[in-house]
Amino acid sequence: MAGSANTAVQWRPSALNCITNYSFLHGAAHPHEYIERAEQLQYRSLAITDECSVAGVVRAFVAMKGLTTTAPDGGLQLLIGSFFVVPEVGTLIVIAQSRQGYGQLCRLISLARSRCAKGSYQVTIDDVLQGLDDCLLLWRPQAKCFSEQVTKLQKAFPERLWLAYTRHYQASDVSEVRNYQRYHQMSQLPVVAVDEVLYPTPERQPLHDVMTAIRHRQKVADVRAELRPNAEHYLRSAAELQRCYPQQWLHEADAIVRRCQFKLSELSYEYPAELVPAGLSASDYLRQLAYAGAKQRFPDGLRSDVQAKLEKELSLIAELKYDYFFLTIHDIVQFAQQRGILYQGRGSAANSVVCYCLQITAVNPDQIDVLFERFISKERDEPPDIDVDFEHQRREEVIQYIYQKYGRDRAALAATVIRYRLRSAFRDVGKALGFNEQELGHYLRQIDRRDQDTPWYEQLVALQQGLPQTERGRWLLQLTEQLRGFPRHLSQHVGGFVIAAGPLADLVPIEHASMADRTVIQWDKDDLETLKLIKVDVLALGMLSALRKMMQLVSEHYQRPLELATIPTEDPKVYTMLQRADSVGVFQIESRAQMNMLPRLRPSTFYDLVVQIAIVRPGPIQGDMVHPYLRRRAGEEAVTYPSEEVRQVTERTLGVPIFQEQVIKLAMVAAGFSGGEADQLRRAMANWRSTGELQQFETKLISGMRERGYSLDFAQRIYQQICGFGEYGFPESHSASFANLAYASAWFKYHYPAAFYCALLNSLPMGFYSADQLLQDARRHHLTVLPVDIQVSCWSHQLVPMQTGYAIRLGLRLIKGLAREQVEAVLDQRPVTGFATLQQLRQAGASPALLQRLAAADALQKISGHRYQSQWQALAVKAEQLPLFSAIESGATETPPEQQLPRPTEVREIAADYRVLGTSTRRHPVALLREQQLLRGVRTAAELASCRHQQVVCVAGLVTCRQRPGTAGGVTFITLEDETGMVNVVIWQATARAQRQAYLTAQLLKVYGKVEIHGELVHVIAGRLEDGAPLLAELELQANRSRDFH
Amino acid sequence: MKQPKLWWFLSTPQLLLDEQLSLQSQEQQQQPQVLCSSEGQRGPYVVQANAAAHAAGIRLGMPAVSASTLVPELRQRDYDAKREAAVLHRLAQWLYQDIAHIALYPPQGLLLEVQHLQLLYGGYQGVQQQLQRRLRRLAVNVVLAAGYNPLVARILAQSGCSLLSAEREQLQAALARVSIASSLLPAQQQQQLQDAGIVQLGDLLRLPVSELGARFGRAMISYVAQLRGELCPPQQYFEPPAKFRERLDLLTEVASWQQLLFPLRRLLQQLEAFLQSRQLSVTAFVLLAHHRKETPTRVRIAFALPLWRSRDMQQLVQLQLERQRLTTPALELSLHADEFSERQASTSNWFPNKQDVHYRQQEERQLQRLFGKLQARLGEAAVQQAQALTDWRPEAAQSWQAGAEPALSAKPEVTLPRPVWLLSEVEPITIQDWQLHWGPERIQSGWWDGHPVDRDYFIAIDSEQRQGWIFKSQGAWYLHGWFS
Repeated sequence: MAGSANTAVQWRPSALNCITNYSFLHGAAHPHEYIERAEQLQYRSLAITDECSVAGVVRAFVAMKGLTTTAPDGGLQLLIGSFFVVPEVGTLIVIAQSRQGYGQLCRLISLARSRCAKGSYQVTIDDVLQGLDDCLLLWRPQAKCFSEQVTKLQKAFPERLWLAYTRHYQASDVSEVRNYQRYHQMSQLPVVAVDEVLYPTPERQPLHDVMTAIRHRQKVADVRAELRPNAEHYLRSAAELQRCYPQQWLHEADAIVRRCQFKLSELSYEYPAELVPAGLSASDYLRQLAYAGAKQRFPDGLRSDVQAKLEKELSLIAELKYDYFFLTIHDIVQFAQQRGILYQGRGSAANSVVCYCLQITAVNPDQIDVLFERFISKERDEPPDIDVDFEHQRREEVIQYIYQKYGRDRAALAATVIRYRLRSAFRDVGKALGFNEQELGHYLRQIDRRDQDTPWYEQLVALQQGLPQTERGRWLLQLTEQLRGFPRHLSQHVGGFVIAAGPLADLVPIEHASMADRTVIQWDKDDLETLKLIKVDVLALGMLSALRKMMQLVSEHYQRPLELATIPTEDPKVYTMLQRADSVGVFQIESRAQMNMLPRLRPSTFYDLVVQIAIVRPGPIQGDMVHPYLRRRAGEEAVTYPSEEVRQVTERTLGVPIFQEQVIKLAMVAAGFSGGEADQLRRAMANWRSTGELQQFETKLISGMRERGYSLDFAQRIYQQICGFGEYGFPESHSASFANLAYASAWFKYHYPAAFYCALLNSLPMGFYSADQLLQDARRHHLTVLPVDIQVSCWSHQLVPMQTGYAIRLGLRLIKGLAREQVEAVLDQRPVTGFATLQQLRQAGASPALLQRLAAADALQKISGHRYQSQWQALAVKAEQLPLFSAIESGATETPPEQQLPRPTEVREIAADYRVLGTSTRRHPVALLREQQLLRGVRTAAELASCRHQQVVCVAGLVTCRQRPGTAGGVTFITLEDETGMVNVVIWQATARAQRQAYLTAQLLKVYGKVEIHGELVHVIAGRLEDGAPLLAELELQANRSRDFH
Repeated sequence: MKQPKLWWFLSTPQLLLDEQLSLQSQEQQQQPQVLCSSEGQRGPYVVQANAAAHAAGIRLGMPAVSASTLVPELRQRDYDAKREAAVLHRLAQWLYQDIAHIALYPPQGLLLEVQHLQLLYGGYQGVQQQLQRRLRRLAVNVVLAAGYNPLVARILAQSGCSLLSAEREQLQAALARVSIASSLLPAQQQQQLQDAGIVQLGDLLRLPVSELGARFGRAMISYVAQLRGELCPPQQYFEPPAKFRERLDLLTEVASWQQLLFPLRRLLQQLEAFLQSRQLSVTAFVLLAHHRKETPTRVRIAFALPLWRSRDMQQLVQLQLERQRLTTPALELSLHADEFSERQASTSNWFPNKQDVHYRQQEERQLQRLFGKLQARLGEAAVQQAQALTDWRPEAAQSWQAGAEPALSAKPEVTLPRPVWLLSEVEPITIQDWQLHWGPERIQSGWWDGHPVDRDYFIAIDSEQRQGWIFKSQGAWYLHGWFS
């Protein structure tokens, strides 16, 4: 520009009140969008000031790090602040000058939030007058209260108080400017021009209007009074600002910015000190503990190579000052050990000798040698990652211990940012635009979320051509896309604790979670990672509960005490069982897809299991890595590497990248990503579903790999795999820990099946299968299952000795709708010989409702006969015992002979069992159909294996699972169960569509199709589907008929 | 011997849907459509479905989500029991032409007492034909069943058993086959009976009453007695809504409406009593002045708001009659009223700030009276109500609505500099003729309804020193209003 040269050095503006979308449904911009726009406009500084929150500041901080251009007189400066609406005072914008000031701000936010329920806050003038000594205050006074409050504020903020004049070309501009001039004359306070920034560019106004409507839960047209009159709340250029404000007021911002030094990178974190005994340094103490543990773990002495690794790890930990982190986790698992709570660590740092010696994990480092290298990544400078899983039924004890030990002001959960997804965004925008629920539901049903290739709006437009032809429809499409990925509210992380040496509120504000007695900080795990703050993940895992119960049962009934670490390793019989896909109930490899993989991958070592667990995931599948791996494993394809670098990364998986770490490493060695870029890539993977951040890496990755001589195909597959990991990240370190539990549970299944099933049943709900499916599997393994019986059953399922081995006696917990306490109180009074009458049960505390429930479950058989008769008797037992009265009233006491009711037929018995217990110890319903000649020509599951490949067959069974895996294209898997086992049915989309009704709703399904046999894998490819409902009706009819002859 | 009583029960299992279908085109009726209820905890489920939906595999009780997965093009609407009951009421009114004794079983059933009718129609077949003739015109799905007891007829009809027999044995046999799920017993008792293997009413009727009573109480004893025809509780029969018809002899011939006002007061008092006893209000009625020979003079009196106090009516009638002329002297006066509305607490937002409820009610009443008076004098369409809509776009900021229902008024929070006189059409101007005084006020709004504006408003003075409200939009200038 030629004309502008002469005046002065170009003045650079500052935006002191930017509101991001972390002020939920208020700001219409991601934090990074402000940073990027401000950089373009050559702003001097930008203050992120969300409403009573600093939840968005870390994202802005990350964006700052990504800026590459630097203006000649210094780059953009990020200020941290927050604004508060204070009744009787006005709006207060608080900006931190220094680390101290930042701590003061966090404390104020915590205080204001602690007074209210989740999502709201309350601040009074008195809160502000004290404790903000290192903060600056910008004030938009409420007109009536200026003179009342000004003296107080002036006194509390000497030289640190400004009047914040805001002009967005509204009707009140003139009166406001006069007011501010008057305020200034009255108080001599400086006036500073402060835009209220709600979005980066004016085009966002419609989104902001829609968010306003969503906040009020009304249509845009109905909240017009709440909308801003224009689109002026964007980041304005220097020239526009100069047109809008007096120069002096604009330049006052510079004085403010000059006085703020605080940077988020100053935050550091001090670990709780009490973990180290006096006189010892943390690293000495850690070393001491590690070597003490090593003696237990390696009773025969440490091998020299293992000791070398231990030493290497210890010195790395000391160098990076992570000693306290390990000590903290050690302390928590110690507690669990004392309480007998089973746990296991996982994560990149968990598979280390140190963690094995500290008893954090039970994965023997001998088994998984290769993992040590990536123990802690020094060059990437990322904090170590250890998650600890605890028994799901007892995790709360661990959480309470942490709160007790460190106090609620020092320990809190990390937040999880709940974001708008397509569905929620579409619905909320749609409602704000006046679409009704049904229309929106109708549109949403047209979108196939699994279709990766076509964006949702293209899918929708293709099917609903009318939609983009209306203005409202176009807004719906456009604004939904904009709103996607916006934060909606903060929720609590599943178990990530932040524990600090001092009050946590100095570091980050704490607020209430929706769960009672839980507090969360305002940052999520990515924020913590950015700032290198460490969290300890305390998670819940059902399989750990089950494993502890298995060990207890085996110890009790077979006198064999076991721990996770002492279960014999590498037992070939266990692997043989798994190779047959006999894995119902086995941790992580019990799903239908995993079962299909087992006979193909044929795991025979621990590391094979690690691969097995990781390979049936979206990452390797989308990257098309599964088949190459299987071929190489089967020796059908040579194991080659495109380069030495790739060999180093992928050697242990035969040259095929399987794990998330391998892919990230490949981005570094094969595409030239720097450590920092690789780190960004890893984070983008975690978030890409909501923010779509991954696309930016595509070009860099592919061109980087092409430049280094890799094939386009390989590069594209790696990118696809990355996208797959974005859907469900699965690192090797996690897989290794899971493999340990998978092996342990498989070992029990093979060696102690009764204990295995019994413990699983007692840990439900968990895992993939229902009680019924587990019990069917148990019976196919020739275990005896005994029915519920009030005379012998306990609350839980039990092992009972039989002539050969053990049977499982079902517990009363299987009966739906019983209260455990009442049942156990009754059982406490059970005579050794059992209850004699229902009256006696009643006197032991069983309510009439409980008696009826027991009768319905057929648990009163031994007292009062079959379930109908028992029910009839149970109904006569009254809530209030008034024997005289009831005898007079109805003449029905227990003495006169009762009406004898007919015995239920077998079909009725089975149906009642399923209704009340969800399972039955009687015959399988399909067996009954077969017996009644209703399934002529239908093969059993067991017969299928002996069929010819491609033979045309008919099968029938109860539908136990309908699955449409995201990765399997247009295929649905249905699992049918008959009395001999499971049948895997594959249904192509066209078949499913043509026979929608049977496919979607049948409980009993008859399938005509072709058998496909590949080794041990047997499938039926469905041709025709038939709803079995008429068969069941026929069965019922026959039951009725036979009953009529009684 | 006295003939045994006989009832018919008319069940309309998809009454609401049938009515909605009847309002649709032939083509629309062929679309699969269902009504879903959200009652219960499991989320919405299908309660009524048309033939097309049934053909596509939709079943009653199916979760709405499954239904729409099964049939993606399915139209779903919410079921509303109140609306269905209203339809049932209309149905009863329709059948009342033929049948005097109808009891309502909302939302989906009518009990008809028929044994008197057979004389009229020559046997039950005649009754049935007449009934079907009536129903055919309504295109409503019905199940009609007979019973020797109201409960029997109801259970048979609602279980879907169309049996119009007068034979007790036949009815009993059918009843025995009805499943417990259709017994109309409380859900808990149904479950308890099924748990004891009692799955049909026949099983239940086989059991000794004493044992049933001991387990399920007196209500069960009475239930069984009804099924056996031993007990028949009295029915509440339907009464069609009343009309008000009163006539008054004028002792002398009266030549003008003015003179009729006094006798009219008595009629209005009677009307008030009528309305009071039924908790109704009236919105219009007809006055008839009867003459010696000529056909009566009719004057229709309509009110802006429903009224029921004779005093209020009197005032308004007076005003309306001032404009009327009586051509011939009248001997009698009558009042016919049949336009009623339910009386309800008026919810008006006219005075949102006044806390005192009593005061508010009074104020409201006064206003309503004023409103009525104005309408009476000026005619219904001449009185309109201003509505503040609070839109930033000046042309959308205010609108007028005819009629009386007081509409929501938004808070008049900020006083905006707005001209007294807003032009209905903006006028292009030459900016050189104007001197800008104040501004800009930037208004960018209205993207959502297809009439977005993007304007900078100014207060400006023209060459004649008049203060105008002008704006600039897309480079051009316009006048939008005058301040003085």
